[in-house]
Order: sequence, then structure tokens, then C-alpha cells
Amino acid sequence: MNAIETIGLSKAYADRGGLGRLGGRRRQPILALDDMTLTVRPGEIFGFLGPNGSGKTTCIRLLLGFLHPTGGSARVLGLDTGTDSVAIRGRVGYLPGGIALYDAMTGRDLLDYLARLYGRPPALRSRLLDGLELAARDLARPVRDYSRGMRQKVGIIQALQHDPEVAILDEPSEGLDPLMQRAFYEILDERRSAGRTVFFSSHILSEVERVCDRVAIIRRGRLVALEEIGVLLARRRRAVEMRVDGAPPVLAGIPGVSGVVVADGRVRCQLEGDVRPFLAAIARSPVTDLTIEPARLEEAFLELYEDDVEP
Amino acid sequence: MSAALFRRTVAAGRWRLLAVAAGLATWGFLLPVIYATFGADFRQLVESGYFADLFDAFTAFGGGSVFTLDGSVALGFLHPIPIALVAVLAIGYPVAALAGERQRGTLEVLLARPLSRRRVYATAMAATIAYVVVALAANLAGVVAGAVLFDVADELEPARLLLVWANAVLLFATLGAVALAVSATFDRFEPALGLVLGFAFVSYAVELLGTLWPDMAAWRPWSFFHYFQPAEILAGDASPVDAVVLAGISVAAVFYGLWIFPRRDLAAPS
Repeated sequence: MNAIETIGLSKAYADRGGLGRLGGRRRQPILALDDMTLTVRPGEIFGFLGPNGSGKTTCIRLLLGFLHPTGGSARVLGLDTGTDSVAIRGRVGYLPGGIALYDAMTGRDLLDYLARLYGRPPALRSRLLDGLELAARDLARPVRDYSRGMRQKVGIIQALQHDPEVAILDEPSEGLDPLMQRAFYEILDERRSAGRTVFFSSHILSEVERVCDRVAIIRRGRLVALEEIGVLLARRRRAVEMRVDGAPPVLAGIPGVSGVVVADGRVRCQLEGDVRPFLAAIARSPVTDLTIEPARLEEAFLELYEDDVEP
Repeated sequence: MSAALFRRTVAAGRWRLLAVAAGLATWGFLLPVIYATFGADFRQLVESGYFADLFDAFTAFGGGSVFTLDGSVALGFLHPIPIALVAVLAIGYPVAALAGERQRGTLEVLLARPLSRRRVYATAMAATIAYVVVALAANLAGVVAGAVLFDVADELEPARLLLVWANAVLLFATLGAVALAVSATFDRFEPALGLVLGFAFVSYAVELLGTLWPDMAAWRPWSFFHYFQPAEILAGDASPVDAVVLAGISVAAVFYGLWIFPRRDLAAPS
């Protein structure tokens, strides 16, 4: 059984229904999510990547039953999101993007209250408080006095404190400083070690690269890539530069090599996929220096989004 | 209904409830006091016949007056001051409970728990009724305290007084049910509040004008307030139709809310 499974999941926002029409103008339907099919395996950390407005949050809200799909279906832990959303939410922890909290409550009262609504003890709370360096005196203060980072920490704790089988986190590291981001990544690693599943959206490529097993990239509501991180990186074009002391190697026709430029004893090119044909091609050449830039998810992402990147 | 959510709701609104209850208790206390102190003088004025038309008009709206204790009690429930005070809870709370939480973004934190939307809705409705019951009980307590302290309690009929209170609870619970149904339909607090307040104001104005202006009389049955006539109840002329109409509207509003709320898309707050 997959932790999360969507089949042709689609969502078009139509005009407002019922009396809500009085509260705003009628809108043209907008296709926010289009035919999304993906699976998240149990025990993996799955990154859901895309720029703002690409449909990440819509997909998450469909998984939790906040939105109703206009096409396709989704299952979480084998349960249908349309008919079993209450049961799903009992087994899932959720961190909304830019979480809003009850400002008048203290941090402790808020966490206690939200745990009570789950009906399960907050078994992981103390570990999370330690990991995110949230002290008892911080929890005694009203939430309205919290900084953005502290609010985010409370948001992460409320999502994970009851040890959910699946954590769905929308932009979880937003507002955390680099040290706390690292602490958060350790928490995610612990979740994976405990066999729990984490599905999180992000536009911070380095954190996806750092913690995820697999990544889905979404663009304008459509899934454009779903890969193991390693496979995705291996497919990226890496910049290669070498110095030669004599005739440059013949790189035309070598699989994965493109954009070859030779000038002033330097050879520049781009390399994609398996490096062995390239290494074989230069093996007998008088190469004095060789640099192959490591593949970065950022480049993979930008390649998939190059149409959207403004000059 | 969720007990944890209900307790948290009541705890969060306790100071507002206390303030409204104190205001209503004070208001309820004052009216028998005014009646006991000045009622006889007013009665003499009424019986002198000089201002007969004026007094008839003044007492036409729900039988409210300070010339009799029953009239004072009726005024204690129908005057704009107690209505505005109860509306803080009967309208303000339900509109904030769904549309307000939706606008702030806290509704999705709540609904991320294993709570069905119908359960959240039913809890908000129960909290609305609880607020109305307590607030109007304070009003009633004020009336009784004023009547006892100023030695006019023997003019009160306890069973009828309780019936007035129950009818008032039903009236404001109905307003609360309508407010909650509107709240479930809107994504933002202000338009929902504006709509319900406008509706309540027009409803009140229709009943008030209908009692003073014969041409408007035919419109009175369209007002919620037409179905709450405390002076008639205190005189022993309670109409069960009033309670049936209000209960019917409440049930319809609750059914609409329970139907629409789970079907709505709760997109990310803007």
C-alpha cells in the first residue's frame, strides 16, 4: 500500500457557490491541478517542488479533503480522500504554509489543545521541543509574542507531536534560520528511520536535495518530473572545462556531450548522463586539468522552468 | 459535537460572555427598579388621557413600557440595547467561528484534526446556543433581582417569565443559526457580518415600523421579531405558532449549514 497515491487528480476552481457569490465577484474557472498521477511510498521523504502558484498547495489541500477534486482521485494510507478524509486526518500530521495560530493562547496550551483534538498523546513533543530548541519558558508565552521562526517551530511540532504515519508539510522550513533548518532536517531523517512518510512542498532546492529520496516537480498544475533525486541529478547537464597541452580531444558524437567550445587551449562543454563515454574519449588526450561541476537540483529545476524564467 | 472544541470555544469567549451578561443583568435589573420608582407616576399620566395616542404608540411595540411590570420586562428583552448586547454573541460569535477563522487561517489548523466539518459546525451551533442561554439568563436574573429588591416581585408570574426567556432564547438562537449558516458560506468575516447585521436590522425595523404604521403591518410576519411578543406571553396569551415558526427557521438554517459547509472548497486563505 502506498502512503499517498493520486490518479489523474485535477482541480479547477469554478465561481463561488451559494451565498458566497455575494462576497466576491464571479471568477472564470482556473485549472490549478491537471491530471496529477503520483505515488509516495511508505517510509520515504518525498519532495514536492514548484514555484509559487504552481499547484503544490492545491494538491496538498486535496489530499486532506479541504478541496474537492474536479477529476481523478487520491488515496492516503489506502483511504479515499473524498469519503474517508476524517480517518485520513487522524493518521496524518499537517503543517499549512504560513500557518496561522490562535494568538491569545500560550504555546503550551495551543499544543495541548491541538493534541486533544487528535485524541492521541503528544508522544514526540519533548523530542521535537529539544530538537527545535523551544524552551519551556517560550511555551509559557502567548503565541502573539512569537517571532515568525518560533511560530513555524510550533507549527512543525503540532504537525508531528502525535507521531503521525504520514506528515504533510507545506513549506516547512520557511522562517527557520539555517541552524534550525539543519535541526529540522535531522527530525525528518529520524522520521524516515522510524518508517514514517514525509511529503513536503518546497521551493528551496538545496533542502530537497539534502533530505528527499524522491522529488516531484510541478509546473502550472502539471507534473513534469517524478524521479529519485540521484536519477534526476544524473540527467542534468554538468559544465565541463579542461585544459589541454596539444590537440583537443574529439568530442563530437560522444553520448551526453554537447555545446563543445575550443579556445586558447581550453575545452568547454556540457555533459549529461553517464560520464564513462566522455572519460573514454579524453583518456588519450593531453589533458592537464579537468573540472566537472557537480550536478545541482537547481539547474534541473531551472531547465524544467526555463520558459518561466524572466531574462 | 466535539467536547474539546466546545470547551476551548467557551473558554476563549468567556470574557466577552461575562461582559455581555453583566450588561444584560444590569439592564434587566434597572427596568423593574424604574417601574417601582416611577411606574405609578407614569400610570397617572397615562390615565390622565392627555397623551393617550403617544402612549399607545409607545407600548405598541411588543407591549414594552415602564407603566407596568410586565411592560418593563417586555422592554427588558425588546429594547435595542439588550438586542445589541445579545447580538454580540448570537451574531458576532457564529460569524467569527467559521468565516472569521477561515479568513485568519486557523480553520485549516482545526480541520487538520480528525474532525468532520459537520462536527465543527454542530459544536459552533451548540456554543452559540450556550452563549445565548447564559446571556439571557443574566437578563432574567437582573429582572428578578430588581423586582425582589424593590418589592414588586409579587406582580411577576414565574412560569410566564420563564416562557418569555425561552422564547427570547429561541429568537436569538434562530438569529445565531442564520448567522452560522451565512458564516459557513463565506470566506471572509466582514461580508458575512455585514449581511447578517443588515438582515437583523431590517427585520427589527420591519416589526417596529409595522407596529407604528398601519401600512407596514402586513409586513410584520416577515420579521423574526414578530415571533417574540413578551407582553402577550406575560399576559397569558402565548402563541405556540411563534415558537414553531422560529424553531422551523432554525432547523432550516442548521440543515442548510450542515449541507453547504462540507461541500465547500476551503482554498488557502488569501
